[in-house]
Amino acid sequence: MTPSPDDPPPLLRTWNRLYALVLGVLLLEIVVFWLVTGAYA
Amino acid sequence: MTALDWLVLVGSVAFIAIYGTVRNARVSTAQDYLKGGDLRWPTIGLSIMATQASAVTFLSVPGQAYEDGMRFVQFYFGLPLAMVIISAVFVPMYYRMRVFTAYEYLEQRFDVRVRVLAALLFMMGRGLAAGISLYAPAIILSALLGWSLNAMNVLIGAVVILYTVTGGAKAVSQTQKQQMVVILAGILVAAVVIAANLPVSVADATTLAGALGRMEIIDLSLDPNSRYTLWSGLTGGLFLSLSYFGTDQSQVQRYIGGRSLTESRLGLLFNGLFKIPMQALILFIGVLMFAFYLFEKPPVFFNEPTLEAVRQTEHADELAALEARWDEAFEARRAQAEALARADTPEARAGLQAAQAEMDGLRDEAKALIRQAVPTAELQDGDYIFLSFVLAWMPPGLVGLLVAVILMAAMSSTSSELSALGSTSVVDLYKRLVRPDADEAHTVRMSKLFTVSWGLVAVAFATFAALLDNLIEAVNILGSIFYGVILGIFLLALFFRRVRATPALLAAIVGQVAVVGLFLASDIGFLWFNLIGCALVVGLALCFQAVGGALRQLKGDTP
Repeated sequence: MTPSPDDPPPLLRTWNRLYALVLGVLLLEIVVFWLVTGAYA
Repeated sequence: MTALDWLVLVGSVAFIAIYGTVRNARVSTAQDYLKGGDLRWPTIGLSIMATQASAVTFLSVPGQAYEDGMRFVQFYFGLPLAMVIISAVFVPMYYRMRVFTAYEYLEQRFDVRVRVLAALLFMMGRGLAAGISLYAPAIILSALLGWSLNAMNVLIGAVVILYTVTGGAKAVSQTQKQQMVVILAGILVAAVVIAANLPVSVADATTLAGALGRMEIIDLSLDPNSRYTLWSGLTGGLFLSLSYFGTDQSQVQRYIGGRSLTESRLGLLFNGLFKIPMQALILFIGVLMFAFYLFEKPPVFFNEPTLEAVRQTEHADELAALEARWDEAFEARRAQAEALARADTPEARAGLQAAQAEMDGLRDEAKALIRQAVPTAELQDGDYIFLSFVLAWMPPGLVGLLVAVILMAAMSSTSSELSALGSTSVVDLYKRLVRPDADEAHTVRMSKLFTVSWGLVAVAFATFAALLDNLIEAVNILGSIFYGVILGIFLLALFFRRVRATPALLAAIVGQVAVVGLFLASDIGFLWFNLIGCALVVGLALCFQAVGGALRQLKGDTP
């Protein structure tokens, strides 16, 4: 177990960008689900 | 089940159990046994998912979508947020302090009392949940396949205890990787087979299910008594996920055994990306199943042994009459579904909705009749819908695969729970309070002993779990009662540096009593208990700290 908080992730180069990707995907999922709900309402 | 089903079922379960036992037979260091060794992110990610996805995920969730639609997916909206926060804040802290359990950190920040209280709260909640994880598949498989309930509890429990005790956290993570591959394959195959068996296209099936409310995914209402809304999912779900993934040892153990901080973070974010699509797919299987049953007659009640019990009473004639009315109502609904599939008009939708209301009414009548005829019978049949569908409509081989998926999910979540309960018992209680000088070999031996003991507790509790309604909700309700308070303690430790041990301890005790009181005396949706418990602990601790500070000042000022 190596404490290496500054190691960059293997994609997107910074952790903040990777976090933004995860949150962006969540937002996209909510929007898609909301559109689906509206389409079938 | 056919011979092919048995071959697939026994072969896959035996392979995993033998693989886990043999491959990890020589695990002897506390690092490997309690943490899991040097794991890479795919193993960590799949292991985190497998720990959360218990058998109830596959038994209850499709049934929930069948009855209530896809709105349950909102429950998971807080999860990706939690994964980001845990990756950024919790994991670096656990790595920095080189802890074996999450609760060790609390002693470094507060004192041993707070550490022990948090460990005990975890053990209460998780110890009971481990029993439900075992019981869930046992009750349903025993009812639908005629297997003995107690024999199943003991058999699943024994297999899990065997490889968990042998290889500890390392065996748990490695077997979960294999189990998750089988589980994901089973889900995909089930979705494809149901879609292929529909008499209409998937698009038409979704339209029909949507006309009957099964595609209402997002609920924007602010009603606190509504169980699943966007807001409760984002807030309550965030707090539940933060607490579960950030402070529950059964999850913390999965990622602190990573090869590096980067591997642990990637494993968590993997879960943040794929959990919602996986749950949405499982729910969608339930929606497709509902559409399928618009064209093929479903039973009036999905727990067939209960119906059979009613047929043995003096209410048998009433049930037969009800079933005749059910058959007519189904034919009427099928005609309406076919009409709507041909032309989507307001009249066709209204006709289908009226036919569905008629069938819902008959199902309620059936439940009332069951209550009258067999007062001890369970009236919720949601957990039986998916498996009874699998047994009735899936081809040979696939039945065995899907039963294996359910058993593996039960085994994977139970093994994590037992391993975490064993390590917490040893690290936070035994080694801290009883034998601080225990060497590595003794620590591993005691861990094995505690793991076996928790396994026996889980098997014993599984025998009493029959009184619970929907199983996945039972697990989540149980978690929500304890998680909010545990999370509150961790948030105090991380973000409120001024708060000392005694105010934190008192706030946790008062907060836990208040949450249990609210659970017993109110109708508040259970997800809110996470937020309430957490807010109570933080708010009360700040108050106690301020009052304590004022009192100390007064004493100091008094000559």
